Amino acid sequence: MSDIILALPVLFPLISGIIMLIRPVRDEKWNRKQELFIEGLVILNSLFVAAAIAGSMSGERRLVVFRLYSVLTVMFKLDQMGSVFAGLVAFLWPLATLYAFEYMKHEERKNTFFAFYTMTYGITMGIALSGTLVTLYLFYEMLTLVTLPLVLFTLTVEAVRAARAYLYYSIGGAAFAFLGLIFVLGYSGIGTSEFVAGGMLDMPRAMANRDTLLLLYVLAFFGFGVKAALFPCYRWLPKAAVAPTPVTALLHAVAVVKSGAFAILRLTYFSYGAEFLRGSWAQWVVMGAAMVTIAFGSTMAVREVHWKRRLAYSTVSNLSYILFGATLMTPFGLAAALSHLVAHAFMKICAFFCAGAVMHQSGKTYIYQLNGLGKKMPVTFACLTISSLSLMGIPLFAGFISKWNLAMAAFDSGSGLGIGGVAVLLYSALMTGIYMMTVVVRAYFPRLAGKGEKPGFDEETAKTASQEVTDPSWRMVVPLVIFAGAIVVIGVHSAPLMRLLMTIGGEAG
Amino acid sequence: MMEGNMILLLPMLCPMAAGILVLTGKVFRKNRSYLTGLSTGVLVLEAALTVWALASGGSLTVLRLTEQLTISLRVDDISRLFAALTAAVWLLVGIYSVAYMSHEEEEHRFFGYYLMVVGVLMALNFSANLITLYVFYELMTLTSLPLVLHERSREAVRAGLKYLFYSVAGAFLALFGIFFVAGVSADLTFTAGGILSDEALAGKEGLLLVSAFCMIVGFGTKAGMFPLHGWLPTAHPVAPASASAVLSGLITKAGVLAILRVVYYVIGPDRLRGTWVQTVWILLTLVTVFMGSLLAYREPVMKKRLAYSTVSQVSYVLFGLSLLNPVGFVGALIHVVFHSVIKHALFLTAGAIIVTTGWTRVEQMRGLGTVMPKTLTCYTIASLALIGIPPASGFVSKWYLASGALSSGTGVFSWVGPAVLLVSALLTAGYLLPLTITGFFPGHDFKGEEIEKRKLAGKEPSWLMLEPIAVLAAAAFLFGCFPGQLISMVQSIAAAVL
Repeated sequence: MSDIILALPVLFPLISGIIMLIRPVRDEKWNRKQELFIEGLVILNSLFVAAAIAGSMSGERRLVVFRLYSVLTVMFKLDQMGSVFAGLVAFLWPLATLYAFEYMKHEERKNTFFAFYTMTYGITMGIALSGTLVTLYLFYEMLTLVTLPLVLFTLTVEAVRAARAYLYYSIGGAAFAFLGLIFVLGYSGIGTSEFVAGGMLDMPRAMANRDTLLLLYVLAFFGFGVKAALFPCYRWLPKAAVAPTPVTALLHAVAVVKSGAFAILRLTYFSYGAEFLRGSWAQWVVMGAAMVTIAFGSTMAVREVHWKRRLAYSTVSNLSYILFGATLMTPFGLAAALSHLVAHAFMKICAFFCAGAVMHQSGKTYIYQLNGLGKKMPVTFACLTISSLSLMGIPLFAGFISKWNLAMAAFDSGSGLGIGGVAVLLYSALMTGIYMMTVVVRAYFPRLAGKGEKPGFDEETAKTASQEVTDPSWRMVVPLVIFAGAIVVIGVHSAPLMRLLMTIGGEAG
Repeated sequence: MMEGNMILLLPMLCPMAAGILVLTGKVFRKNRSYLTGLSTGVLVLEAALTVWALASGGSLTVLRLTEQLTISLRVDDISRLFAALTAAVWLLVGIYSVAYMSHEEEEHRFFGYYLMVVGVLMALNFSANLITLYVFYELMTLTSLPLVLHERSREAVRAGLKYLFYSVAGAFLALFGIFFVAGVSADLTFTAGGILSDEALAGKEGLLLVSAFCMIVGFGTKAGMFPLHGWLPTAHPVAPASASAVLSGLITKAGVLAILRVVYYVIGPDRLRGTWVQTVWILLTLVTVFMGSLLAYREPVMKKRLAYSTVSQVSYVLFGLSLLNPVGFVGALIHVVFHSVIKHALFLTAGAIIVTTGWTRVEQMRGLGTVMPKTLTCYTIASLALIGIPPASGFVSKWYLASGALSSGTGVFSWVGPAVLLVSALLTAGYLLPLTITGFFPGHDFKGEEIEKRKLAGKEPSWLMLEPIAVLAAAAFLFGCFPGQLISMVQSIAAAVL
């Protein structure tokens, strides 16, 4: 029964969230006690996750929740790859919640927000802990439903539109994924859809129908790819940037979108198996799609002047870095994909939190309004600089390590398209430099008015200069600083992490 | 964790720490004498630390990012040459800046980054492997960016962003090559003659050449090599004069250092000799040499003219390296030193003229000889050295470059190269000497009304500014008279790598 620890991280936040919805606390009565209570819940749940991971160190643990009939088993299982994702999410969630308290200070319907926010934690854990493709699919659908109210939260026209797009894209994607699931079950060599490192297909039968299975792999890839904002199904993500920043930062840069990437990793390395896919036409199709998305996302980010939407496009591009690693179909490729999954989580949540802090403190949402803010919000912009440099892939920061791994894996795979992919990565890195560093330079070096203009600062800078803007309170600053610190730590000392990821890759590839 | 000679860290950490202190400490914003005192003090200390580090030698492993990615420092002859040059010139320009920057705002920011850049440059010079080189190459771009942005005018911000984007584009282009090399060889420590083995390269020769080309063009961005030279004439002139000087004289040389390390210490000259990479590389350098000189000749604004001159002159160095023979190699390395010294003298002169008279265009500077005869004399000596009039220094390096080309066996380039150098030398005389001529001999129709009205006659810049210019000009001349030591040192490097 000690395996019940696997269900706890999923059920505990879900039940807590439902209770919060049943017994709502009105905004007038909302106080520090509620916040302390929720923070306590979230931290407790992270401890459950830690316990589950510690427990699975000694040996794999599994917990069958129920069987619909023999093949449709809903089961939790914690392997090393699941541990990486679960551990990452468990580390980020309490900090993001802390940030959210400050961010949502002036908003209405806090109770609803935090109820769904907490429930999402449970669902994301469900994805990390899924032991079968069926379980994964189940939680994948639930993730859409439970995050929908969060996208919808502000109830503006844009929010409604964004929520609608999000819903349609996700349900549509899930339908494709469902097709893939059925065929995997049909050809499974073990009777169920349980994840097996290296794939679970019944090889002789599968090889006989290779092309059908490959077609369904491509469909499922794009299906799960919707959540990972794969081109051409990316549109919902920039739209969803209207949601409150804790949502865009944690869900649309980490939990939701990485669930999509994680599902693809499960599908590729633990269901179909890399060996079955390697060298097939399906591999070239999905790798090509990832490369197109990388280039497209970062180019669109350069063109976008709304800060959070720019970061959302950056996410589009960066998620496909992960997918690119995954589609190399090699052990090293999987390890590299996972390393970017971890690195990008820290960099992007840090960048989004900076954008949110600026919005919260000054109400500025567009890039051209940011002139001269660097001096007024030194901590925020120091963190933004670190995150920007890391996203660009400057050495000594986390982004360089993951980019290095991806490129090494691509060269190592020996495929021509993979080497082309390295060129795409570098193009995207340059675009990243452009769309991130223009913000940093603006903030620190506001332009002085030139000849023929009014003396002193230019208009936007002058506006900022006259405003009272400061760094936000500790509840926002602490998460920011911790994330920035994490970026540097991974950047200068990633040998232990890489050893772990290489073991995962070695087993599954 | 760290293994080796810890002294190597000092020339890197000391100015970086001082730079951060200057940037963050409020007292340095309020009290100028603290700022300048600390800055010059640190620069003197830096020179001493560099000498100490070079004398003690050895190597040091600083950090292991992953199993393969190691940050380590080491002293060899190349780092001796570049580090000694950097420390000496940085100190002189620092002294000059104390006087020059008193006319600018936000001095603490200038000095803060000025100190940080020298720390990064030292680390770059001491890099023991390709990863370390790349790390500090990127950091150099980022720490020198604020020097370009310093004035914060519309032009400065645009130029700064252009500088950043070109540099980053170049670095990422080079990174492609680094990825390839790292995939072929696990150990990336610089070794004279290259580190790649034939077995590991089997079947990947074509990709090796593409990677080598990417690295040459990518790192060539910093050295202002065509086709990624566009940022240089925009970015160098908008910075304060002392920053333009180090950007032109030393930071461009970081691009040279990177290419030198890649070609001679990673890939190996033998793998490139006679390939399309060498041909295209030579062609690019010659195009740059000619184009830079021509554009400088047509440019009326003095600092921009000097920036174009840098484009041209740094490609002399790259031309020497691209020949892949010992004589050209010697010419390239001594031109690194000579051009650095000369270009600093010229940019500092331009700064002195701006501070004293406010003149920026060459045609405004008629009669400058009556204003600052000593400065103009120094300028003239440096100019003659750059043109290559014997016995000044430029002559020696060009002699080696030309004879290297003649004996290089690169077909048509062995005589086209020297011809381009010759034409470029004429253009160099054409864009540098008019200042001397109209300055000392303004002609009969020149009344000097402005000079009289503003009482400019005999108004030399302060000795803090004049001294560094004089030292650099003297060095530009004397290096040409007594080049023996330097040449024999460089020849021993050439013997090791070729």
